[in-house]
Amino acid sequence: MIITFFSAANAQKKVVISKDEMVTVPAGKYQPFFITPNNQPIPVPSFKMDETAVTNAEFLEFVKANPQWRRSKVNRLFADTNYLRHWQSDLSIGEANKKIYNSPVVNVSWFAAEAYSKWKNKKLPTIAQWETAAKAPPRNFKYKSLTDFILDWYTKPNPKVLPNVKSTYQNEYGLYDMNGLIWEWTFNFNSFIGSRDSRGNDEDELKNFCAGGALNVSDKSDYAAFLRFSYRGSLKGNFCIANLGFRCVKN
Amino acid sequence: MKIFIYCLFAILLFSCADVSNKSAFTGEAPKHNTAPVGTISSESIYQVTDTFQTQNDKKVALSSFEGKPTVVGMIFTHCTYACPRLTADIKSIEEKLKSENGKVNYLLVSFDSQRDLPEQLQKFANANQLDKNFTLLHGDENAVRTLSVLLNVQFEKDAEGNFSHSNIISVLDKKGVLVFQKEGLNGDQTDIISTIKQQL
Repeated sequence: MIITFFSAANAQKKVVISKDEMVTVPAGKYQPFFITPNNQPIPVPSFKMDETAVTNAEFLEFVKANPQWRRSKVNRLFADTNYLRHWQSDLSIGEANKKIYNSPVVNVSWFAAEAYSKWKNKKLPTIAQWETAAKAPPRNFKYKSLTDFILDWYTKPNPKVLPNVKSTYQNEYGLYDMNGLIWEWTFNFNSFIGSRDSRGNDEDELKNFCAGGALNVSDKSDYAAFLRFSYRGSLKGNFCIANLGFRCVKN
Repeated sequence: MKIFIYCLFAILLFSCADVSNKSAFTGEAPKHNTAPVGTISSESIYQVTDTFQTQNDKKVALSSFEGKPTVVGMIFTHCTYACPRLTADIKSIEEKLKSENGKVNYLLVSFDSQRDLPEQLQKFANANQLDKNFTLLHGDENAVRTLSVLLNVQFEKDAEGNFSHSNIISVLDKKGVLVFQKEGLNGDQTDIISTIKQQL
């Protein structure tokens, strides 16, 4: 394994080849971000997680082996028209796109990410797993506040060329780029979050949901989490978005 | 603080091209691109190959409901508030379509892969006096999650094994294409009834 050292201001852009490495995330407890009377902390047993997001090169192997997931063949129910739009063709990322071979694959739907995970005999992480894994503090990285770092990333537009995996920070579990590169699909991204739109709270809206609205959150200062949960809540399974990819887990 | 969050979220939306113009789902199903000739049902939910178990312990794929329009609700039987009401709403749709008896499938799919095994589903069907037009389905976590994603139903299991969920009644056409959704409990059923009639 090639280890990349970096600092916050000056992330090195070494080409690193992902080798399907997984790291162990120790058992923990996940406090659901939106607190309702019923959601007590959920125990999260230890699991293995891909150390990086799935790359374009890795996803190409999957597409080669599964013709129904080629751009020209994919069903619209399972992936919208943006599916792999940044690739040159069905089975080619493109010579001109060489820089992104080892960058996270984006423009992939939840269904595509699910299918890839199954093909690899893995799974998509649950929200509880993803949030537990992302909570670990950065290693080799000087920061004052992880929240500030994440928010700073959120405010930046998508880069023209998405950097390679391992180009941001590695956290204490050994996971790379949990923030700072892309957003990631979770298995249960469509979890009930109390309300899709917190601006309204009239009776009609309450009637749309079982168990009422979410009244409180576990950490009000965690703006970054607000955004992550809003983002997930705005997704549908066939959406393919230019800054949304995934990584897998094994239980 | 709220304004700060909204501002950030707005920036975020602008930075990711396609989220902002796809609003939360209400009413009519979104129009997809026209399917290529010869694959009329390419939007069909029945393409999903997961198997489920009915209240009679029969293994079925969703495609076994092909041929009739199908009304679908997602519930769990230990639910004390919304699910009995959602079930009652679907029963009332059946009642209003009495003249079309036997021509429509009514499907209740459980969120609760652990507890809602066929026997429990049968109990629920009896308790709610659901007739033979109703099928109740148990599926594994993957099958249920996939269906919920296809039907835009949000749900989450809590620490006690109960579920928070959105209340949506979906109508699938004879081929399993989502044609209409009604969100919320009670309310006017005129649109959903007329949609089902169009599908007969």
